Amino acid sequence: MNTAKGSIEFQQTSVVYPNGTVGMKDLNLVIEPGEFVVIVGSSGAGKSTLLRAVNGLNKVTSGAVRVDGVAVPQKEGRELRELRKQIGMIFQDFRLVKRLSVMSNVLIGRLAHVAGWRTLLNMWPEHDREIAMRALERVGITEKAWTKASQLSGGQQQRVGIARALAQEPAIILADEPVASLDPVTTHQIMRDLVRINQDLGITTLVNLHFLDLAREYGQRIIGLRHGELVYDGSAQSVTDKDFREIYGRDFTEDDLLDEDAKL
Amino acid sequence: MSLALPKKPPKNWPLILGAGGFLAFMTLWSATGIGFSLSELVCNLGSGSRLLQESWPPDFSFLPRLLGPFMETINIAIIGTVVGGIFSIPIAVLAARNLTTGKVVWFLDRNFMNILRTLPDLFWAMLFATAVGFGPVAGALALSVFTVAVISKLWSESLEAIDMGLPEAIRAVGGSWVQMIQFGALPQALQTYVSYALYAFELNVRASMVLGLVGAGGIGMILETQRANFEYERVTMIILFVLVAVLIIEQFSSYIRNKLA
Repeated sequence: MNTAKGSIEFQQTSVVYPNGTVGMKDLNLVIEPGEFVVIVGSSGAGKSTLLRAVNGLNKVTSGAVRVDGVAVPQKEGRELRELRKQIGMIFQDFRLVKRLSVMSNVLIGRLAHVAGWRTLLNMWPEHDREIAMRALERVGITEKAWTKASQLSGGQQQRVGIARALAQEPAIILADEPVASLDPVTTHQIMRDLVRINQDLGITTLVNLHFLDLAREYGQRIIGLRHGELVYDGSAQSVTDKDFREIYGRDFTEDDLLDEDAKL
Repeated sequence: MSLALPKKPPKNWPLILGAGGFLAFMTLWSATGIGFSLSELVCNLGSGSRLLQESWPPDFSFLPRLLGPFMETINIAIIGTVVGGIFSIPIAVLAARNLTTGKVVWFLDRNFMNILRTLPDLFWAMLFATAVGFGPVAGALALSVFTVAVISKLWSESLEAIDMGLPEAIRAVGGSWVQMIQFGALPQALQTYVSYALYAFELNVRASMVLGLVGAGGIGMILETQRANFEYERVTMIILFVLVAVLIIEQFSSYIRNKLA
């Protein structure tokens, strides 16, 4: 565990997509190593843009993003791969290789750590297999190691997704709507997993959520985005209904909550 | 209750007559162009029926001598499919817009593929027969090229239709281009690849019969010698044998392809 690593800094960062859509506008933001940050905002507010700028999946149009003081390279290549190696990502649609076993999927997290000829021939070093196994242990599905990914439930697939990120031994985890395709019970399990991993390993964690009650329940720090701009930055304890109304630009409804009878 | 069907639109007679007249004109014009005459055809039917009479019954005693050349045909087809199948992989990947390494590579590869497809298998057979001498090796090489032409075009289109989420996830863990292809793209298009490879094998078995005509080995070579010697009962035997063999192979191949689909 290295608590000194995993800081993220946005400096006057803007993202304009080729079609003219503004994904991010003059964002200034500092995230310290080990923080657990929940990013909220209505769809199109720029939540994904923010996450994807950290690992260079989206290129920035002006300003810079720095990870541990190093600017995120803006073109594909060795430097960008070196950076991504230490940043795990979790997706709404899991993005597993469905026809491969859980173990093979978790080993994908080791791709950048292992020599290219080894991965080409599928000859993984014992050391990396152990790391993958430990990652599976941490999400509690070791017994599924040899099951085909396509045979798992949604929650189990997302756990494999988390294990794949953990296998990278990352300094940062980016979770882009990790629970949006899961049922409420599984949603809470996955959110608890993410919080526990953040606390145990001190991995800086950024989670995009669109449910307000989840953001308040699990976030330490909440960042609100609207039209690509930072409109809220504060602790989850102190966030008020008024703040949420401002982030969303409207009154929120039951649709913005995971549990229908939950109170904010 | 009366059904209120909308009134049937009137037929477009000018279009029907115009299109019909155009087709009739084109046919007559082409028939004159190649000197086709119905009366000559009727007169020559006699020699055609003589040929048919000479071709029947098939000479079953010739059957044992077909097995060796037929195995050679199958061998040519297998080598062609395997070699061509391997080379198809990089060629198809680089021709897929979503996976290629760059615009220039894509453009060159795409045009290379088109050239392969434009030239017929017989052309390649003659080319390789000149290069490495008459025989099965020339046939196998010709079919390798033919297989690349078949698989790479079809499969590059399948590759363009894959979900790019997984390749992006491989990029996100710091994976290289090769790793992105290996773990992100190929697993999604594996079934279609096997299916196209089997399809190419079917085509290759049929093609390798024809290739024999230009001296590229296999059963086609026997067919050509027997035809040249006017041994029509043997020719019938060969055709029957090939028909049955091709039907069996097609059934087998389509069974597997259905299982995969």
